[in-house]
Amino acid sequence: MNSASPGIERIFSWSSIDSKSRVVILVSILLICSIPHSSGQETITGWNEAESWTDYDLNAAVIHGEIIWVFGDSGIVRLSEDSGATWQNHTNLGDANLISADSYENSMAVISSEGIIYMKDDFESEWITIDSSQTGMKSVALTGATSLVIVGNEGAIWQYTDQTWWNRTTSFTENLHDVDFNGDEDGLVVGDSGTILATDDGGTTWDYRESPDPDCSIVSISYFNPYRMFAVSDSGQILYSTSPGGFEWQLREIESAGYNTTLATNLSSIDVVSSSRILFTGPDGYLGLSLDQGLNVEINILPTGVNTSFNDHAMFDYVSGIVVGDSGVILFTDRAGENEDIGFQIPDYNNFGEFVEYADDMLLSGFIATVKIVLFGILLGFTIGVILAMLKTAPTSFKNILERYSTNQIRALGAVCLIIGLWLLYTGVNRFPELQLEGLEYIFTPVGDPQGFAMFALGLGIVAISIQFILADKKLSGPIFKVRPLNSLATVYTDFFRNTPLIVQFMFIHFGLRLGMRIQQLMEGTFGDPGIDGIDYFFYGDRTFLSAIFTLGLNSGAYQCETIRGAISAIPSGQMEAGRSIGLTYLGTMRLVIMPQAIRICIPPIGNEMVNLVLNSSLAMVIGYSELSRQGKLMIATTFQIFSAWGLVMISYFVVTWTLALLLRRLEEKTKIPGLGISGGA
Amino acid sequence: MVDVVLSIRDLHKIYSGGVHAVKGVSFDVHEGESVAVIGSSGSGKSTVLRCINRLIEPTEGVIELRGEQINTPLADVNQVRSRIGMVFQSFELFSHLKVLDNITLGLRHVRGMSKSKAEEVALDVLERVDMLERIEAYPGNLSGGQKQRVAIARALAMKPEVILFDEPTSALDPELIGSVLKTIRGLADEGMTMLIVTHEINFARDVADRIVYLDHGQVAEEGPSSIINEPKTERLQKFLSSMHEDKISEDIENELVNTQADHGYVPDGTGNRPRS
Ligand SMILES: Nc1ncnc2c1ncn2[C@@H]1O[C@H](COP(=O)(O)OP(=O)(O)O)[C@@H](O)[C@H]1O
Ligand SMILES: [Mg+2]
Repeated sequence: MNSASPGIERIFSWSSIDSKSRVVILVSILLICSIPHSSGQETITGWNEAESWTDYDLNAAVIHGEIIWVFGDSGIVRLSEDSGATWQNHTNLGDANLISADSYENSMAVISSEGIIYMKDDFESEWITIDSSQTGMKSVALTGATSLVIVGNEGAIWQYTDQTWWNRTTSFTENLHDVDFNGDEDGLVVGDSGTILATDDGGTTWDYRESPDPDCSIVSISYFNPYRMFAVSDSGQILYSTSPGGFEWQLREIESAGYNTTLATNLSSIDVVSSSRILFTGPDGYLGLSLDQGLNVEINILPTGVNTSFNDHAMFDYVSGIVVGDSGVILFTDRAGENEDIGFQIPDYNNFGEFVEYADDMLLSGFIATVKIVLFGILLGFTIGVILAMLKTAPTSFKNILERYSTNQIRALGAVCLIIGLWLLYTGVNRFPELQLEGLEYIFTPVGDPQGFAMFALGLGIVAISIQFILADKKLSGPIFKVRPLNSLATVYTDFFRNTPLIVQFMFIHFGLRLGMRIQQLMEGTFGDPGIDGIDYFFYGDRTFLSAIFTLGLNSGAYQCETIRGAISAIPSGQMEAGRSIGLTYLGTMRLVIMPQAIRICIPPIGNEMVNLVLNSSLAMVIGYSELSRQGKLMIATTFQIFSAWGLVMISYFVVTWTLALLLRRLEEKTKIPGLGISGGA
Repeated sequence: MVDVVLSIRDLHKIYSGGVHAVKGVSFDVHEGESVAVIGSSGSGKSTVLRCINRLIEPTEGVIELRGEQINTPLADVNQVRSRIGMVFQSFELFSHLKVLDNITLGLRHVRGMSKSKAEEVALDVLERVDMLERIEAYPGNLSGGQKQRVAIARALAMKPEVILFDEPTSALDPELIGSVLKTIRGLADEGMTMLIVTHEINFARDVADRIVYLDHGQVAEEGPSSIINEPKTERLQKFLSSMHEDKISEDIENELVNTQADHGYVPDGTGNRPRS
């Protein structure tokens, strides 16, 4: 007597699955969730620790010829002749803290907190000591063999040239932190309250530059060349100027920090080592590297046990050099400190078995990645397909919506809409000239000005509709009243997705719309950081995964929609009438009567769609999602076994699609309605 | 004076193709009354019924259910439909649901009954149409007569104020007609208010309290069931004589009902496709 309906809900319900299948499903889910995304890969530090033979804080490092010099508290001096690997003691320079150093051709200068300057004017020469009798010095820059500029607290700027001291302090009295010169004429000085001062005469006169953030404290500047000037604030901002003379400064919107203008860490110094490569230091063990002028900053992994405040870099070229920090820490590198991914060594294959054993891991992770996007893609695609099909078959026309209102009301609505529509149209069209397009180029307006185009299109539509509203007669017989707005919307959607190539959709959605990133940020805001494994990571740890399932789902939905719509129209219209005649609503009849029958009819064609989706999922490699095909490419990159690698990938795809086809066949049998032939009618 | 359940006033329907299918039809259906609508094919019988149930909108005219106009955009169409039962020529059972679930669907989702309460009501109406034995069957495995009785039960279950039948036996093989007619006759005896479109002239004469004869979208003659034996208009006379040429024996109904010819019949899947 207890007769559960054989609706879709029962076919997919847990209780209807036998125990053997339950075990298989559980194990599969466990397997999918437990395997980390890129197994077998490890990231290691790009820095090596050197023995400095001191525990004093090291404040400055400078390269003088072949030798690296390091200066620290209490007059500590160390030098290395082998690019920073081993260090020798050098006689202390006084007993005050040495705080800043610079080199220029054959000369080198160091300043102490007591205002004493130590200088060498040649590689072989002895140290010369100059006592300036000044306090509050912060940073030194050489502008010639024996000329230099020093900045300090309360806006102090001193120039030492021709053995004479000049006070060049300007009217700006903020504390100054750093000075840097490009050549011997052009220099920049930075300090508190966003102060930036510039000189073009070797430091004699200084001009103020407009600051992009007057509240920040700029602690370090690097004047790489007239088109590349970078500075950092202690609160983690990156400032840059590309105008010769440093006339205009901007805050970098840091992509890797989610387009924020701060790295969310404190910084102490910046070193620009090539036209695109920048190194950063900060307190609390922060070392950062950017390969693209500060757009993306990667945090350096440190050697184990090292955690100190870093103060200064000294780099020979754009890859090799050192960094110094508190408590006598010196690290050296020959790869600019860049993190290194290791793993996947190329093995030496004696036979095919060994190759397969090596390829297994990559193949499995690719396989799982593919299954993941396929599963979610199918779910999303089917849902979108059903919704679109419902929209397309919805009988609601403007007449249905409006017939309860009087003709005068409709005319009034038309008049209001006409005004709104004309306004939108006018505003939209007026924005187009800014795009500077000519003739046929106007078809690109949706890209050049999406908002303007939306206003134009919406306005045009509203005007066309509202004119007919104004002319409405009592019977609502105008052509517009037969229009089904929901159907039109769905048609626009499907037309768009079915008339553009999937590979372009992938790239547009991932790189253009940055959908994956946006969803990830949304999820992070709601559920917190995804971490690097576990369920959060599974769902939104990988942007390419998010973009991939949405692209596949949105695309597949557009195709599935037509299939489902066909199935809906194959259900005799009497079924809808019968459902409505017992008082069910339109949607109720769709849900309880039409859809359960239509879905059964369309299982075979939808199955084809799903197989297509599996095959299409290989295009996700263009956005960098590590699914099967991409793993295949990686395999070849590391093993050069082209035939074998693509062969394994191909077989893996076949396994996925074949299993899917089997499952669908089973589903079709299970959902068959007793007594109903292939005709599917009532 | 008995209450008027359904009142149709000057009904017109012009289809979008321009066919003027119904041209000013008016009649009433009273409480407990069975009204048979007869007329040749294409005379607008179905159109009238579908207007009443609001499956289509009349072009003009007023339809009232217990004094309330129901063909205005302001009337709650779902509520109106749940008060009017409808039995279709081609049954229109929900083929993915078992017999019992066909009946309970409306009870649960329109009337909001619990599953057990709905099944109680369903079993009750299935007993009235003599279909208790087949509640677990799918419609595809029933004979046409059984299907139509389930369809009648589905309409009955909603406790409608009036049931509309649109040629309930036209899609049936002759030997299956009897059981359905017997079921309808039973409802008439219980005092169910019904509007029946039928080609079974003898059945109409015996069961209906009143006859409405439609011709070319107009009521050509209306009166007590005796008008079938003594038609006043020439048009009805002509129609009746054409019907008699089809000659369905007066006894066929009783004969077939008595032998219960279709009870337990399972079709081989070739017959019972709806006719238009
Ligand atoms: N949906 C429709 N669209 C256009 N014309 C129709 C439609 N339904 C019925 N008609 C026409 O209306 C007239 C009456 O049809 P109908 O009410 O079905 O007659 P009956 O049920 O008496 O056979 C016929 O001429 C038929 O062709
Ligand atoms: Mg008809």
